[in-house]
Amino acid sequence: MRRRGVSISEAFGGFRLWWLVLPAFLFFLAFFVVPVLSLLAISFNKTVPGVVTLTDAFTLDNFVRIFTRPLYYEAILRSIGLGVVVAAVALVLGYPLAFLIAKTEHPGRNTALMILVLASMQLDMVIRMYGLMVLMGDTGLINSALIGLHLIDEPLPLMYNAFGVVVGLVQVTLPFMVLSLVGIIRAIHPSLEEAARSLGASRGEAFRRVVLPLSMPGILAGSLLVFALSISSYVVPALMGGWKVVVLPIHIYQQIAEAGRWQFGAAVAAILFLTSLVAVFVYHRAAVLTSGGRT
Amino acid sequence: MSDIRLVNLTKSYGEGNAVSDVDLAIEEGEFFSLLGPSGCGKSTTLRMIAGFVRPTSGRILIGGDDITALPPERRDIGIVFQNYAIFPHMNVAENIAFGLKLRKLPKAEIARRIEDSLRQVGLSGYETRYQRQLSGGEQQRVALARVLVTEPRILLLDEPLSALDKGLREEMKFWIKDLQKKLKITTIYVTHDQDEALTMSDRIGVMAKSRIVQVGTPQEIYERPKTLFVTSFIGHSNVVDVAVRRVADGMAVVALGGSELASRAGAGLAEGAAAKLVVRPENILIGTALREGDARLPATVVSETYQGAIVRYRLAVGDQEIVAERQNQAHVERFAPGTAVTIGWAPDWSETLLA
Repeated sequence: MRRRGVSISEAFGGFRLWWLVLPAFLFFLAFFVVPVLSLLAISFNKTVPGVVTLTDAFTLDNFVRIFTRPLYYEAILRSIGLGVVVAAVALVLGYPLAFLIAKTEHPGRNTALMILVLASMQLDMVIRMYGLMVLMGDTGLINSALIGLHLIDEPLPLMYNAFGVVVGLVQVTLPFMVLSLVGIIRAIHPSLEEAARSLGASRGEAFRRVVLPLSMPGILAGSLLVFALSISSYVVPALMGGWKVVVLPIHIYQQIAEAGRWQFGAAVAAILFLTSLVAVFVYHRAAVLTSGGRT
Repeated sequence: MSDIRLVNLTKSYGEGNAVSDVDLAIEEGEFFSLLGPSGCGKSTTLRMIAGFVRPTSGRILIGGDDITALPPERRDIGIVFQNYAIFPHMNVAENIAFGLKLRKLPKAEIARRIEDSLRQVGLSGYETRYQRQLSGGEQQRVALARVLVTEPRILLLDEPLSALDKGLREEMKFWIKDLQKKLKITTIYVTHDQDEALTMSDRIGVMAKSRIVQVGTPQEIYERPKTLFVTSFIGHSNVVDVAVRRVADGMAVVALGGSELASRAGAGLAEGAAAKLVVRPENILIGTALREGDARLPATVVSETYQGAIVRYRLAVGDQEIVAERQNQAHVERFAPGTAVTIGWAPDWSETLLA
């Protein structure tokens, strides 16, 4: 069926709409675009500890250093790898939950499930990570229980490694994945699945051939969001990884906050930003392909 | 064989029944309509036959095989939904190939069948189009092609015309009927539109409040309604209060406005019962149109409304009102408001039903 309706600009009148978005636009410009661009700009200056002044002495030294030192380019790969793993785990855990919420028609139960998902976003991330540490530390609930039951002698390495960081990041990003999926899954009309069944598809085949492909926009959007949130997270790798899982944001923090090397830290930040942009581009291509050229 | 038997089919949700004790025998090749207002249980009945809703009790048989416990994919039933349910991520050819691929047919066979079925529904050349590039009528044809290409034993149609505009609806009504007759496929058609049901069906089952209230040919349903519900749901009728004087041999004599009138007697009618006399407006005769043996009573013309092909009269009979519709053609008398007239009807074209 074709969509009919009036566009927003027709409804509001193009001119008046501009005035409505102007405050948000100015805020965004002043407090996001300008600071980020200034940070990116000084990444092309020579690194001088303690100096933040932007000069016109253009150099690629910082970037050359990043791509020639294993310490830094390995961090790029580690960040990307972590982002991919977290997105995959969040998808596998989030899809069934999103499916359940989307298919729950009872308004009360539906609201209850949504509150459950959103509740985890209400607590500050640092507090949630300390909570995870109580659970997963060497003397935490899991390890002391297992040792108390004489199932293990030494505590399991649940934290201060990549495993702990993945658990922390999945916990943080899962609601974003679920929220990206719920709307898309709900928009898949039940008659499509029923039509597939009636044409001879088992429950599993109907899911694989109809429901899953039609969920693709949500899967892509959710994965992209989770990937971007994961590779840019500082708090989770710092607390759950104990500075041992060195990803790009850790480098940025150390360079700028600890060594005062603003220019080099800015260059690492530029790489992080670029990685997210590439991900957006890759996912956009994937979205066009999986939608059968419908966009 | 692909006749359908529904045996005491019931679906309860919590307290109430969506479908109660539906017993139907639909013959092979028959076009059968389930007609009723929304919420009467007709869609739930269809969904039980398709396998999407599990009956609380009762059985469903196709060609003598009990399919009550089978999942939808093993019932060999084609269903066309109200919204057509064209897969939006597949083009027309892929939509039609869907059921064939699941049946693991060879590629060449699939290609041949897609071509044949698109020709059958008049959409040759539409293979690479997507759902959003199709009009409502085209989507409907694709939906039909997609189920018919798998050669199902029976065809279920769930309000397939309700999303189309009026002109297209008229066209599709006859197109679907012709296709069904040509394929001789047993078909159940769910609709709330009496006009569709009357035009297309071999037989109609009228449903109300989870039950089948009458099964019959379109003519039987229209001319011999068994209940006041059927009377009021199918077409327009005059329904007037009468007192029953005598009942004999399927005919009743009733009193209305001081006159004694003959009509057909509905089930359970007895002398002294509170009853309603039912006569359709087109069967009310006025003045010289009446023949020997017709029921007659005096009335006064309240208003006369010219509607082109017909003229509509409101007639006062005592403190009740009767509407008559007369053809506007040569040699048919017209009556001005205020005129005292004799009106009536052939007894066989009226029913007296229990109130």
